[in-house]
Amino acid sequence: MNYRLIAYLVAVLLFCIGLSMTAPLGVALYYGDGSAPALLGSLLLTCGAGGGVFFRTRGQEDFYLSHRDGVAIVTLGWLAAGLAATLPYLLSATIPDFTNAYFESISGLTTTGSSILKDIEALPPGILFWRAQTQWLGGMGIIVLSIAILPFLGIGGMQLYKAETPSPVVDKLTPRISDTAQALWKIYIVLTIIEIFLLMAGGMNWFDSICHTFTTMPTGGFSPKNASIGHYQSVYIDFVILLFMFVAGMNFSLHYKLVKGNVRQFFRDPEFRSYLFITAAIILVITIDLYGAAIYKGIFEACRYAAFQVVSIMTTTGFVTADFEQWPVLSQQLLLLCMFLGSMAGSTGGGIKIMRIVLLIKHCYLEIFRIIHPHATTVVKLGEIPVPQTIMRSIWGFFLLYVGIYIVATVAMAALGLDMISSISAVATCLGNVGPGLGSVGPMDNFSGVPFPGKWLLIFCMLLGRLEIYTIIVMLMPGFWRK
Amino acid sequence: MRVIIIGAGEVGYHIAKKLSEENQEVVLIDQDPAKIRRINENLDVQSFLGSGTSPHALRSVGIEEAELLVAATDSDEANLIACLLARNLNRHMVKVARVRNREYLQEQSLFSKDLLGVDLLINTRDMMVETILGLMEVPGASEVIDFVGGKVKMVSFLISGDSPLAGKKLSDLKAYEGNLLVGAIVRGHKIVIPSGRDTIQPHDLVYFVMKKTEMGDSLAQFNMANRPMKNIIIVGAGETGMAIAKALDERRLNVKIIDQDGERCKKLAGILKRVIVIRGDGADRDLLREENAGAMDLIIAVTGDEESNVLISLLAKELGARRSITRVSKLSYMSVVSAVGLDTVINPRMAAVRAILQYIRRGRILSVAPLREEQAEAIEAEALETSDIVNTPLCRVNFPPGAILGAIVRGEEIIIPQGDTIVLPHDRIIIFALQQVLPKLEELLTVKLEYF
Repeated sequence: MNYRLIAYLVAVLLFCIGLSMTAPLGVALYYGDGSAPALLGSLLLTCGAGGGVFFRTRGQEDFYLSHRDGVAIVTLGWLAAGLAATLPYLLSATIPDFTNAYFESISGLTTTGSSILKDIEALPPGILFWRAQTQWLGGMGIIVLSIAILPFLGIGGMQLYKAETPSPVVDKLTPRISDTAQALWKIYIVLTIIEIFLLMAGGMNWFDSICHTFTTMPTGGFSPKNASIGHYQSVYIDFVILLFMFVAGMNFSLHYKLVKGNVRQFFRDPEFRSYLFITAAIILVITIDLYGAAIYKGIFEACRYAAFQVVSIMTTTGFVTADFEQWPVLSQQLLLLCMFLGSMAGSTGGGIKIMRIVLLIKHCYLEIFRIIHPHATTVVKLGEIPVPQTIMRSIWGFFLLYVGIYIVATVAMAALGLDMISSISAVATCLGNVGPGLGSVGPMDNFSGVPFPGKWLLIFCMLLGRLEIYTIIVMLMPGFWRK
Repeated sequence: MRVIIIGAGEVGYHIAKKLSEENQEVVLIDQDPAKIRRINENLDVQSFLGSGTSPHALRSVGIEEAELLVAATDSDEANLIACLLARNLNRHMVKVARVRNREYLQEQSLFSKDLLGVDLLINTRDMMVETILGLMEVPGASEVIDFVGGKVKMVSFLISGDSPLAGKKLSDLKAYEGNLLVGAIVRGHKIVIPSGRDTIQPHDLVYFVMKKTEMGDSLAQFNMANRPMKNIIIVGAGETGMAIAKALDERRLNVKIIDQDGERCKKLAGILKRVIVIRGDGADRDLLREENAGAMDLIIAVTGDEESNVLISLLAKELGARRSITRVSKLSYMSVVSAVGLDTVINPRMAAVRAILQYIRRGRILSVAPLREEQAEAIEAEALETSDIVNTPLCRVNFPPGAILGAIVRGEEIIIPQGDTIVLPHDRIIIFALQQVLPKLEELLTVKLEYF
C-alpha cells in the first residue's frame, strides 16, 4: 500500500470539498443569516487540513495505484469528506452534537436523506444550502468528480472509479476514464440546470429550487421544508420532481447514449425496460389499493400520490408528499420492497439495483430449468449479451452480503430498543440510501430518537450501501492490510 | 485522435499503452477475455471483446470516426481482412498492419490504395535482421539508431566495471565536447536525461550521440571499439535465424547456425553456401564447446523460446564468447536482462512499436525513437524561427529539466552542441527528452507533437 499517495489524493479531495463551501458561504452572505462565520471557518479548516497534507506529501513521481490503494482512497476519502461536512453544522451550532452532525453529513453525502433534524426550517439558509450540496456532490460521486478534474490519475483513476461506482458491469463510455467522468458530470450538471428552471417556472423561489434540485438529481431526498415536497401541494411540482427522480434513477450511460443520438439503444436496454415495468406495476397496485381504501378523493389523486411515493422510494430519493404510514398495509409493504429494489445500475440511486435483481431472477429460473433438462447448457443473458460466470458470482455474493448485513443490523437495532417495524425499516432505508422509514422513523418523524450506538450503525449501513458493500467490507479484512 | 488496435498481444498492448499515456482515445479489440481483463486492469483505454475481422465489431467501436487502425494480431490473414474491412467502412483512416508471410509481402500491389490500402507494413522478422546487421557494424553497441539518414548515430553501450568511463562525471568529459554527447543513461528501471553533474556508473546503459564519420575515433578513446565480428554462431534456425544466416552467407565470415530440427537443418543446408549448419541443442554446453563457442566474436540467440535464448547467451559468454545478441520478446524482461550481463537484447515487439510510433508521429517532428520501455524519446525536429531556442547560446536557453539537445544538423554540417553553440532557424535538431517533459518541450519548440 502506498500510504503517501493515499494521503496525497485524500488531501486533494478534502481541499476540493473545502473550496466547494464557497457556494453556501455566498448564500449565507446573501441572506445575512449569521451562518457565514461558521461556513468561512469550515472552509478554512477543510482547505487548511487538505492543503497541509497536500504540501507534505506532494512531489511524488509514481502515480501507480493498486486495487487496494483505490479501495483505501475511496473509503478514507468518504470518511474524511464526512468529517469536513460536519464542520458547518458544528461551528454554527445548528447540530451541536458530533454524532448527530456526522449522521447528517454522511446521510447527505451518501444521498440517503435520513435526518436527525426536528425543525428543518429553523436552520439558516446557508447551512440548508450546504446540506443540499453534500447530496449533490455525493450523488455523482466525489471520487468521480476528482477523476474528472484530475486527469493525471490515468489508469489509477480507473481503480478509484471501480471502487466508488462498483456497478455489476463497468461501463466505460469513452476510451479515457477522465473523459468518462467528465461526460457523466456534464450530463448531471445539465440535468440539474434544467430541473432548477422547471421548478422555478412552477413558482418555487430560486433557493428552494436549487436545494430541491440538488437533492433530486443525486436521488438524495433532503428538503429545506419540514413537510418535504408535500409543502407545496402542487401537481406541477410533484410531476417535475417525479420525472427528475426517475431520470436520475436511470443508468447515466443511457443518457450519454441518448445525447450521442443512440435512441434505439436507449429504449432497447433490458434493464431500462425492467425498471419501467416494475415501477409501473407497483404504482398500479398501490393506486388500486389506495383507491379501494378510499384514502384519497378519486382515482387521479390516488395515482398522483402513489406514483410520487413509489418513484421516490424506488429511486431511493426519499421525498414525501404523503404520510404513507396512513396507507393500507399492502402499500406500505410494497414501499418497503421498493427500498430493496433500488434504481438502475450506474444511476445516482442506491438499493440492490434492478440489474442485479433481474439477473438473479434469471439465474434462479435457469437453475429450475436445469432440473427439467439436466443436460441443457444454460447461460444467463442480459438482453442479448451473455453474462460471465464471474459477474454472476459477484452478484450472488453482493446479494448475500446485502441481506446478511440487513438481518444482522436489524437484530442489533432491535437490541437497542427499537420496535419491530422501526428497526426493519430504519436499516432498509439506510442500507438502500432511501431516507424515510416506517414506524418511529417514518416520513413525518426523524432519526433523532435512535439511540447513540444505533446512529453509528446506521452511518455504517449508509456507507456500505453507497459504496456497494464490497469496497467497505474488504477494508475490514485482515488480509487487506497485510503486505 | 481515435485509434483502433486489433489484437492485444505485446505489440498491441504496448502501442495502446504509449498512445493512451499521450491522451489519445484508444480502443483495443481482442477475442481473449483474459487479455481484455488484463487491459481493463492496467490501461486507460476502452476494450472490446470480439473479433477484429467482424464488421459489426468494428462499427461498434466507432471505426467511422477513427483515424488510425493498427492490426497487430498474430495472424496475417486476420490483419489483412481487418484492413480490408476498415477500408470499406472508413476510406480515410490510416492503416498499419503486421504481416509476416513473405509471399504476401512480395505482392506489393496487394497493399496499394486500390486494394487493401495499408499505409504501413510491420514485419518484425525483417526488422530484426536489419537491427542485427546494424549492431554488427558497431561492435559492442547495445542499440544503434540512425538520425538524419544515418549521418548522426545514437549508439548505446553497456558500461562495464573496467571501462574508462565508469565513475566519471559527465562534466569531466569536456575533452570530447563537440564530438560526442551523452544523451541518456538507463540505470535499472530508471532513465536519466543527464546534466553535467551526473556520473556514469558501471552497469549503466549509456546513449551517445555522435557523428558517423568520427564514430571510430570516439569509440577507440573509450576502449569501446572492438575488433570486427568474424566468427559468429547463430542459435535457432527459425524465420529470423534463417534470414540472418542468408544475409551473412554473402559475406566472408565464419558463420555457424545451430538448430535441433533435422528437417529445417536439411532445408537450410540446401540453401546456404558458406554457412555451416549444425544439428543439435544450442543449450548443450558440450556442443557449444565442440563448435568452439568460446572463440566466437558473437553469438546470436534467436530460438523461439526466449528463456532459452537468455540461457544460451549466458552459457556462450561464460565459455568465452565476446559478445551476444539475445532475442527477448517479453518487454517486462527488458530491464533485468542487462543486469544479468547480457550486452545486447533485441526485441521484435519493441521494434514494431517503435516503427508504428515513428510512422504516426508526423508534422514538424521528423522522427522519433522511443528509448527503453518508452519512458524517453529521441526526437528529430526542425528549429522554427518563432521558437525560443534559436539565436541564443544554448546555456541561456531555458531547457526543461529532463530534456537535452543532442545534435544540430545545418546543411551538410553536423554539430554536437556545447554551451556556447547557437541554434539557427531551420536547423534540424535532435533532442532527448523524458516522456513527462514532452509537453514543455512542445512549448519551447512551438511545435505540437502532431500525428500524421
